[in-house]
Amino acid sequence: MSPTTAMYVAQGIHGLAYGMILFLVASGLTLIFGMMGILNLAHAAFFMLSAYFCYQVLVMTESFLLALLIAPIAAGLIGVMLERFLLRRVHAFGHIGELILTVGVSLVILEGVKVFWGTESLPVKVPASLEGLISIAGLEYPIYRLFIIGLSLLILGIMAGILYKTRLGMVVRAAVSDADMVNALGINVPLVFMFVFGAGTWLAGVAGVAIAPILTVFPGLGDQVGLDAFMVVVVGGFGSLGGAFLVSIIFGLLSSYGVQFVSQLAPVLMFIFMAIVLVIKPMGLFGERE
Amino acid sequence: MRKKTKAVLWVLLLVVLVCYPQIFGIYYTNVFVTFAVFALFAITLNLLLGYSGLLSFGHAMFFGSGAYGTALALEHIKGCPLLVALLFGFLAAVALALILCPIMVRVSGTAFAMLHLAFGQLMYVLALKLRGITGGEDGIGGFPIPPLSIPGIVSIDMNNPLNFYYFAMTVLLASMWILWFFTKTPFGGIMVGIRDNANRVDYLGFKVPQSKAVIYLFAGGFAGVAGSIYAIFQNLISAEDGFHVFVSFAPIMMTMVGGIGSFFGPIAGSAIFGIIEELTSRYTERVELVMGLILILVIMFAPMGFMGLIQIIKEKIFCKEPGQKQSEEAIIEEAA
Repeated sequence: MSPTTAMYVAQGIHGLAYGMILFLVASGLTLIFGMMGILNLAHAAFFMLSAYFCYQVLVMTESFLLALLIAPIAAGLIGVMLERFLLRRVHAFGHIGELILTVGVSLVILEGVKVFWGTESLPVKVPASLEGLISIAGLEYPIYRLFIIGLSLLILGIMAGILYKTRLGMVVRAAVSDADMVNALGINVPLVFMFVFGAGTWLAGVAGVAIAPILTVFPGLGDQVGLDAFMVVVVGGFGSLGGAFLVSIIFGLLSSYGVQFVSQLAPVLMFIFMAIVLVIKPMGLFGERE
Repeated sequence: MRKKTKAVLWVLLLVVLVCYPQIFGIYYTNVFVTFAVFALFAITLNLLLGYSGLLSFGHAMFFGSGAYGTALALEHIKGCPLLVALLFGFLAAVALALILCPIMVRVSGTAFAMLHLAFGQLMYVLALKLRGITGGEDGIGGFPIPPLSIPGIVSIDMNNPLNFYYFAMTVLLASMWILWFFTKTPFGGIMVGIRDNANRVDYLGFKVPQSKAVIYLFAGGFAGVAGSIYAIFQNLISAEDGFHVFVSFAPIMMTMVGGIGSFFGPIAGSAIFGIIEELTSRYTERVELVMGLILILVIMFAPMGFMGLIQIIKEKIFCKEPGQKQSEEAIIEEAA
């Protein structure tokens, strides 16, 4: 294979890996913002917080697998508490209330992180078993990025399975489309919402752990991904998991190939893409409601 | 009687504004100018958010284009009078709003917010990358600030902070007054009507997209004036100060903390933010932590913002329905 093709493929893998991490964050946001309609600006803060948890677990146990298990769950639990004790009370004031509250929460998390771990970026090592390159069809791929892609696909599969094939998923979808009716049927809707919020935060947490070895851990970790994930949810269409998946990959590829071909304009390619989509379809690619 | 108290309050406000620099000294005068700039900026945002129900995540692009418009005019046009430079800022923002409004009047809700985010980021990146025009990360700074002169009569040196304070206050107050007057006209009524029920306004025979466009131009243009004053005040404008997404978020937070439902809410919010920053940065480096906690507390315990809180307190004290106007006056005193 010629070096040019090899470079294209390598860029493609980088783009896919970022797209997949973006999808993990955005799928959580699809649950919280797209389905439940909670404007959660603290989502990226949980992503960042989980990366710090990952660092902490690694320092204490040196096991990446353990970090991958514990850190997202810890972030998810904090998310559940946020929903139970704060967000639930301001839900009556609509998006505006949620916006103020979640901005406040993300500021507190950001500053809290700075107090506990400081502002410098902390290194997280790629686990030994996922280090190095693997050679497929004459090309070398970094194993860790392939691992990220695999992990995201696995989670997408599990999520889609739960949402569309199980009774639990049916209850969640029903509660999202008509909470009062489902409540009247004797199902504890606030509990369902709390669970969904926790699951969404957990997904952001998984992404945070996955990205920690690539970018190292620092307070501004969530800024870029958080903004991108919001755009993914809006462009993909509210509540559409498939839309979020497709747009995440497009964004990932846009960012990696954009840097290669039009490096000056690379930072705005996603915004231009979003603007074009929203001008033509204000509800997003696969959206059914605003 | 009510008219009289009102007039007295206005005179009081003017007296306080005139005497302010003499009492508080130069440092707090500059703090006050920054506050007033952001108050006007937040009011223009509230024109969209509060009066029209349109949340924008990219209002900074008008602020920034106003600032860059003025800075570029002062930098490149020899002997450009101050007011003309100000006009350039205003027109730059209006031009941007004019370009965007055919798209923006068609969408609302999340699409409106996100489209603004998109175009705001586009402007931010353009300001960073078009190095030849905008100076990239360094921005435009050190441009000459001409005196405010009426040919043959008077020429006031604007490099004197005191003179500049009076000039900035005049421009900002005049802008605020125009916007306030704008919301009181029948057209302002249509604006609120569109927010509450666009279909009905349409059936009544008013042109909804065109009306939205006019509101949009007003909001954009006067945000440009705020940016313009800011650029002259700092004698520097950079992409970070003008177009960054945080510049878009600041007035949203100010408006919400101050109270969305009222014209004077954004002023109160801007004052509250200024005071909190001033006070907390004196005792702790964790300004953001305090800010975050305050935001959480505000929404938990005073969800209608500061203006709503005043309303509630007044009702508790006087045990009767206080009109909207009464609490507005309270805020004028507060802001002064």
